[in-house]
Amino acid sequence: MTKLKMLATTAALMLAGTTSAFATECIAPANAGGGWDFTCRQVGKLLYDLKLVDAPVQVTNMAGAGGGLAYAHVVADMNTDADVIVAASSATTTRLAQKAFGDATADQVRWVGAIGADPGVIVVAKDSPFQNLGDMVAAIKADPGSVAFAGGSAAGGFDHMKPLQVMKSAGFSDITKVKYIGVDGGADAITQTIGGHTQAMTGDMSEIVGFIKSGDVRVLAVLTEARVPGFEDIPTAREQGFDVVAVNWRGLYVPKGISDDQFNAWATKLQAVADSAEWKETMTANGLAPFTKVGTDFQGWVDGVIAETETLSREIGVIQ
Amino acid sequence: MDTLANLALGFSVALTPYTLFLAICGCFLGTIIGALPGLGPSNGVAILIPLAFALGLDATQALVLLTSVYYGTMYGGRISSILLNIPGDEPAMMTTLDGYPMAKQGRAGDALVISGVASFMGSFLSTIGLVIMAPLLASIAYLFGPAEYFALYLLAFCTLGGVASKNQAKAALAACLGLGIAMIGLDNSTGMPRFTGGNLHLSDGIDFLVAIVGMFAISEVFIFIESHGRNSALGVTLGKISIPWKDLKNTFGTMMRSTGIGFVAGVLPGAGASLGSFMAYMAEKGYVGSSGYFGKGDPRGVAAPEAGNNAAAGGAMVPMLTLGVPGSGTTAVMLALLLTLNITPGPLLFKDHPDVVWGLIASMFIANVVLLIMNVPMVKLFVKVLLVPAWVLMPMVTMVSFVGIFSLTGSYFDMILMIFFGALGYLLRKLDVPTVPVILGILLGSEMEDALRRAMVLSDGDWSYLFSSPIAIGLWVAAIGGFLAPLFLRGKLGKPIPVSDTTLDQD
Amino acid sequence: MSSDRIFGLVVVMGALAFFAGALQIQTSFLSDPVGPRVFPMLIAASALLCGLVLIAKPDAEPEWPALAAWGNMAIALVVLVSYALLIGPMGFLTSTALAAAGVSYLIEKNARTAALTGLGLSLVLFVIFKYGLGLGLFAFPRAWMG
Repeated sequence: MTKLKMLATTAALMLAGTTSAFATECIAPANAGGGWDFTCRQVGKLLYDLKLVDAPVQVTNMAGAGGGLAYAHVVADMNTDADVIVAASSATTTRLAQKAFGDATADQVRWVGAIGADPGVIVVAKDSPFQNLGDMVAAIKADPGSVAFAGGSAAGGFDHMKPLQVMKSAGFSDITKVKYIGVDGGADAITQTIGGHTQAMTGDMSEIVGFIKSGDVRVLAVLTEARVPGFEDIPTAREQGFDVVAVNWRGLYVPKGISDDQFNAWATKLQAVADSAEWKETMTANGLAPFTKVGTDFQGWVDGVIAETETLSREIGVIQ
Repeated sequence: MDTLANLALGFSVALTPYTLFLAICGCFLGTIIGALPGLGPSNGVAILIPLAFALGLDATQALVLLTSVYYGTMYGGRISSILLNIPGDEPAMMTTLDGYPMAKQGRAGDALVISGVASFMGSFLSTIGLVIMAPLLASIAYLFGPAEYFALYLLAFCTLGGVASKNQAKAALAACLGLGIAMIGLDNSTGMPRFTGGNLHLSDGIDFLVAIVGMFAISEVFIFIESHGRNSALGVTLGKISIPWKDLKNTFGTMMRSTGIGFVAGVLPGAGASLGSFMAYMAEKGYVGSSGYFGKGDPRGVAAPEAGNNAAAGGAMVPMLTLGVPGSGTTAVMLALLLTLNITPGPLLFKDHPDVVWGLIASMFIANVVLLIMNVPMVKLFVKVLLVPAWVLMPMVTMVSFVGIFSLTGSYFDMILMIFFGALGYLLRKLDVPTVPVILGILLGSEMEDALRRAMVLSDGDWSYLFSSPIAIGLWVAAIGGFLAPLFLRGKLGKPIPVSDTTLDQD
Repeated sequence: MSSDRIFGLVVVMGALAFFAGALQIQTSFLSDPVGPRVFPMLIAASALLCGLVLIAKPDAEPEWPALAAWGNMAIALVVLVSYALLIGPMGFLTSTALAAAGVSYLIEKNARTAALTGLGLSLVLFVIFKYGLGLGLFAFPRAWMG
């Protein structure tokens, strides 16, 4: 038995990666380890496990220009490829709205669906003097330089916007005074915050789940409409009087040039993934909140979000 | 003795005939991938992730296969460094400095054995370090903020002067060149393009792999065309291959010191294996002082970087497992694998998934033992490479380099860029400008700048913040000492006084 | 004039150009206290200093290759650049055989061994890379493969 298995393994090792073995390709527009990579790998795995595709999904990491390189590549070279899906999130639409992908616009691809959302969070170390969001906002109003935020995106990016939105909703308009450093991802940001180099971290729930459970951090607020299942003791910003909702949806886009039938087929498959028990387990384990929108429904929602982000970015001054 | 019980648990999941077989396959594949220029540990692991799924491996088996590949590439990287002066991957860069001169003297076999043993010591001891102290070590990462990282990078650049054979200005110039190249691309803080000329290919910067393959492999091709293969290690009479016990004994201390330095560098997420091997080499050079003949085939110059980079590979597992912060490209790929297996690394990983963590640690031990055993007989095979005539070997190196870079992005742009770096590397080598600092500059440039700018955001532009912690001050003192020591010592040249090791000994 | 002096001069001009380039970098209103220009300027300044040192204190002249060797290297450059441009459109096998044969011939002037090296390498490497490591290579022009 073992011998047979070894033989089979040897054969597989020798034939490994013949491209025909991978019918579907999922492009993660970043290096391995981030949120997009997570989306591709989890969705790819479930698509295969649930027998929605015939062969394992190949994940391609195409890092560059914050997702812009993959976007340009799909638009230019893969416009009619029905076997490719690309991971996307709020960061993708934020950058599109802020014209960070050059001339690319959101209508150059089709937005096929979101299957979960990573709630935005504002976090401090456990020994921080801030007990709630109100404490922190008051401290920043008194001395804007006293609180520095660390986040996983560049200045002006999605993580930076969260504290700015909170401050705006509290009636603080001098938002360029709010200190923010962009580091290499959420885990790095939380490390800097626990280490006391920054006073607070702004990021996504999934990035800090382990640290919440270990008690190293205190989540001041989660930026959702209602408390997140599994994390019921964490208050929302809204209930603390700051009307800010910022969730990082996890989803996919597909090339513009595929037929409506192909588009709908992908939408159905994503719905099936979202409905599966395995995906629900994955979501709870990783701090994701349910958020399913597929097909034309999602397309319409994305159009709305982009328009909103554009207005907000202009208000805050990220774009002119 | 919780640890021992856990370790036993780990071995019980990792030590089955099938997983052992996977470990051997992984080590072999990894060694080959690591030895090929352009294909490094991250590629190796990334290529094999889909394979792990295609084979339907469970979590432990997949981890065993991938750690074997990871360590295999770390061992393999040194082979082409020593035989051909072409590092198989970036952490093996420092091994060219003394490994290749040794090969030219007909001691390729010795160099391979010493570096193999050093690799084993580095990774084996660092795995033990990981077992004993992982949760404790995680807190080291908390101590390093922007100011401390900036001082750490500064230390690396300040000790560069010693890399150059004669002229320190040339080493400094090479570092500036690398740093300048690192500035190309989107600015991390503002997202604005810098020095890209509007080219989208450049917006993500220049991949250091393109630079390293160009500067080392392609420039070597030009050197061969110029000299028709004379003055290379090819065709030198090879001594009988035996285990160089004497050298091993003499380099034992080197290996221990370098392991310590490499491990600490690995634990710091911002440093990684390349910095680990660099620091280990420079520290050893400073420690040995003028009695060494570093750069001319000193066995200690082979042992130090290999022990250092393999120890760093083990150390890099600490922040990856306990904080979810990948310290290197490879640990980023391993992190991706864990996430795919629905395991989120973090402070509770050791408690929540002991089978996975200890299985991983056990597989690290297994991979290392397998590699050590495999490497001794394989050395005989590897040195045969030197019997291959240049007119076959060099075209092969060229083609492998092209395919390696082609597989990165599939664009002709990177290949052209690689050729450019090849021509540049040739000219620099002719002018006696060391190429190692260029690569180091490209690797660390944007990190260093980001650290500086983050520090200034936090301090509202107050530069004294850079010296605000004891760690930062210590690193600054070491950096200034490391910069001044060679200048000062040059005046004393000719008098064989042992170099004081106060400035460089970080151990 | 010694090679190092010329090199130093090139470095000085390059550093000045880099400095000028740094001045052109756009800054965003959200910029940090240091901004995106300062670090490149520091690099340019250090490089400038190194260039001046080289001009003031050049090393001994390196051993430059003879004219014929320069010619060979120029040909090699052309071969490599054409390879980079043709590997996509021409497919792996043909382009690799030609380029490998070219490089081989430049190292050892023997047409027969060069041709054999080219053919052998292109086949062996194709099999290793395509089937051993699973890289997405195309044997022939993509148009032929449908």
